[in-house]
Amino acid sequence: MPIFLTYIMPVLLIGGIGGVVAVLLAFLGEKMAVDRDARIDDIERFLPGANCGGCGRAGCSAMAEALFSGEASVTECGPLSPENKNNILRILELPLADSQRTVAVVHCIGGRACKDKFDYQGYGDCKSAELLAGGNKQCSLGCIGLSACVDECKYNAITVDKRTGVARVSYEYCASCGACVAECPKKIIGRIPVDAVVYVACSNTKTGKEVASVCKKGCIACGRCEKNCPTGAIALNNNLAAIDYGRCIKCGNCADVCPRKCILPFPYEKPFIET
Amino acid sequence: MSMFFSILLSGLITDNMVMMRTLGICPFLGVSKKLESGLGMGLAVTFVLVLASVVCYVLYYYVLAPLSLVYLQTIVFILIIAVLVQVLDIVLKKLSPALYASLGVYLALITTNCVVLFTANNVISQGFNILGAFVNAVAVGLGFTLALLLMAGIRERLDRAALPKSVQGLPIALITAGIMALAFMGLKGLFGG
Repeated sequence: MPIFLTYIMPVLLIGGIGGVVAVLLAFLGEKMAVDRDARIDDIERFLPGANCGGCGRAGCSAMAEALFSGEASVTECGPLSPENKNNILRILELPLADSQRTVAVVHCIGGRACKDKFDYQGYGDCKSAELLAGGNKQCSLGCIGLSACVDECKYNAITVDKRTGVARVSYEYCASCGACVAECPKKIIGRIPVDAVVYVACSNTKTGKEVASVCKKGCIACGRCEKNCPTGAIALNNNLAAIDYGRCIKCGNCADVCPRKCILPFPYEKPFIET
Repeated sequence: MSMFFSILLSGLITDNMVMMRTLGICPFLGVSKKLESGLGMGLAVTFVLVLASVVCYVLYYYVLAPLSLVYLQTIVFILIIAVLVQVLDIVLKKLSPALYASLGVYLALITTNCVVLFTANNVISQGFNILGAFVNAVAVGLGFTLALLLMAGIRERLDRAALPKSVQGLPIALITAGIMALAFMGLKGLFGG
């Protein structure tokens, strides 16, 4: 009898309670079942399952529902791999994503080639400098070079080049997360396709004369690149050369003819050309 | 009657689980970003607390004690709490998907909320009767809700405040929680608690 009370009774008790509540839960689950489209579960299976909350939702399950109802887009999920992105898009019967990877580039090569307005000795980064009369560069759309983007980059992909004084994004490490694009007070960091061969390293939309008076390298809107492009992929827009990467055939003519050397080869395989 | 009143006030204020005993901190920090989800969480915990206290009371006095298996108290209580949370999970998913979504993983985490287990154990160790257990659970649940609501109200405003980057989010929430706990400490000893 003591054996029964000591060893068997506890097992029976816990087992009994477990059994009763299991039946209860199963019954309740059946009764209160929520109709849920099976495709939501499929989507959830392709999500990373890390429940990181990076998309701003309660977890991958909530994200799957948001994706299904069309409230969210697959690009909101940072850790999602390109294959799974397409798998999800296939379930949602949406057009497959352009799996083109992009990288961030700083659209400026001014730096030391750009004249200073004053000697900035204040605190910290570009954002502080920007508060003081728009930074110490005479060009109002040039890289200040005080590392606001460097501090913001989680991938350590950005450095400020000591020689040129301009921030530079390393395309090998850049995840194109967009943190620097948002952080830059001058808004001169943009994204280009990773297989691009040239990029425009100037953001100044002022007239050629004004640009020439402040910077040795800025785009003066001369139009030589436009004239020498065989496919019309590069065009002047608002006094600044702009490349349509969809039409670019990667000939590199624009970079060769640019008199200011502000259309630069990418990914920086050749060293910066000094004027 | 005065005993119930003192149980109610001590659960609500002088013996507030979050502020005085630092129990249930996980949802206190996790679900206190918005007033609505804070209220939902508080009521969900209250629901589990009341049912768990009463069911555990009955199980303890009518099953465990007669069989002299009181050493199984903790494991049985945890089992009951887990089941109740599952019930809540299923019911909420059906009845209020919005609240279910805003509570997220914290709903399932009520299972491991130490407030619930503590209250169920406390009922036994304090020797409450079943009515006392019920009132105590309601009081503790409302006290938890009160703490969540106070915190959520403050955090909603903190979101709009100009704070240094280093203390934004959780750090300032923890500092706030500390100051709130200090304020609650000032009420210690009131109502004979």
